Amino acid sequence: MADVTTGAGAFGSTFIPDDEAHRRYLSQKQKLVWRRRLLPLITILALLLIWEISVPLFGIKSFIAPAPSAVAVVLVTKFGLLMTNLLPTAIEAVLGFMIGNGAAVLVATAFVYKRTLEEAFFPVAVMFNTIPVVAKAPILVLLLGNGMQPKIAIAAIICFFPTLVNMTRGLRDVNPQQMELMHVLSASPREIFTRVRLRNSLPYLFSALKITASTAVIGAIVGEWIGANSGIGALIIQSTYNFDTPLLYATIVVGSCFSAAFFGLIVWLEGRFLKWNVVASS
Amino acid sequence: MSVAELSVARQPVVQNTPAAVQLEDVTVRFITERGTVTALDRINLTVPKGGFMSLLGPSGCGKSTLLRVVADIIAPSSGRAEVMGGTPFAARARRDIGFVFQDAALLPWRTVTENVMLPLQVGGGIGMESARDPQELLELVGLSDWGKAYPHELSGGMRQRVSIARALVSGPKLLLMDEPFGALDEITRDRLNEELLALWERTGTTILFVTHSIYEAAFLGQDVLLLAARPGRVREQVPVDFPGPRKISLREKPEFACLVTRLRAVLETC
Repeated sequence: MADVTTGAGAFGSTFIPDDEAHRRYLSQKQKLVWRRRLLPLITILALLLIWEISVPLFGIKSFIAPAPSAVAVVLVTKFGLLMTNLLPTAIEAVLGFMIGNGAAVLVATAFVYKRTLEEAFFPVAVMFNTIPVVAKAPILVLLLGNGMQPKIAIAAIICFFPTLVNMTRGLRDVNPQQMELMHVLSASPREIFTRVRLRNSLPYLFSALKITASTAVIGAIVGEWIGANSGIGALIIQSTYNFDTPLLYATIVVGSCFSAAFFGLIVWLEGRFLKWNVVASS
Repeated sequence: MSVAELSVARQPVVQNTPAAVQLEDVTVRFITERGTVTALDRINLTVPKGGFMSLLGPSGCGKSTLLRVVADIIAPSSGRAEVMGGTPFAARARRDIGFVFQDAALLPWRTVTENVMLPLQVGGGIGMESARDPQELLELVGLSDWGKAYPHELSGGMRQRVSIARALVSGPKLLLMDEPFGALDEITRDRLNEELLALWERTGTTILFVTHSIYEAAFLGQDVLLLAARPGRVREQVPVDFPGPRKISLREKPEFACLVTRLRAVLETC
């Protein structure tokens, strides 16, 4: 293959019709795409295989570290149990994500238009953010009870800060010449907000959404650790105390898959809404 | 030849109407941490309707500030600015002014056509009666096939053409250009210079063009206004009377070289 390419490049390139070269270029590109997809898959399979062999080889007990096959069996046999526990966690994470990000967008807008608000409240937000989630969680459980509310609140709080910081920056960092242009066009403050500032902030917002999509799930799980009867977090605690390690691993797999799917959804939305930016930055 | 004579020669009809731009003793001061900086010091200038004036000077001479006074982006600290017979504010509100920025300032999330249409979509639809067809303008700047493209897909020169089309879409009477071709390569710049002159002759728009290229200033302007720096003040106004339509080959003519030498001599004393 390499010989053909160099041969054509040296003196034969004029003899290859354009679409032939184009076809070859496309097939090369396709190969690269497949390589990028297959390589990580092969790595994961290899690691799982090593793990699978190591467990019986070194005589590791199942309750300390189960083999991947044992986890897979649990994933199938206890699928119903896993899903009934995923549902509350998913609801908490998604609601917390929406509330936290929504609040962050509103507060960022207020910050951009009223500097004094930012000067007054941003240091408070920074300090609040320095408190670890595991410390905030019990306080919220005391305040909001044992239901879904404290978990939603924790997920929301965890989402709030990254989005606030990014969104404030995105709304503010507008090209000054674009602002001068809007001034020359006598655009109203509302038009400047919707047609320039908001659009300008979208790439920043999506960066924050991608971070918070996974942290919202973590927030909900941490909330469930403090006190819950169902949910991924509750199942993690239960299976750990019961030494049901295969179930613990299966729960973690389900939680991670949900997190990844949520992240994937945001990436897909970004591709749809930020066509101009995704193409530009890739 | 004086400025007045030039305007008479070109457009006898507008003889008695007020000038497109008139500045009288315009001074602009900025307050910075190091104290007050005088960006413009008692500037006087007159651009006749349908005229093309180049503003030439070293960096820091306040060329861009001057353009922003005319566009009602910066208010003068003292002195009087008049645009199309009224205040700059009134001219801006009437959509008499089109502004072309140095970096094109296109909105990256809008396609080429959407960018060109922006002036028609904001500001409450003022000046719609003089609005021009965006597609026609894209044809005028040679980008009729690029309407659906996004700015990042275009070269620097194409982006600047889009921004010129955008500035023209509301049918402005005055076009303010702030070093629009400063970031472009020489070949593209030459081509756009020629196209801009053709466009000016076809539309009859008054143009005020800021540049720091002596060649560009001399090639484009009916007048070249030389500015000195720190504080920005008028050094000299030099009329340029090459007959139109000017072609880029004009630059090889001895008269052109003569003018450039003269402009350079004045600039060196700025």
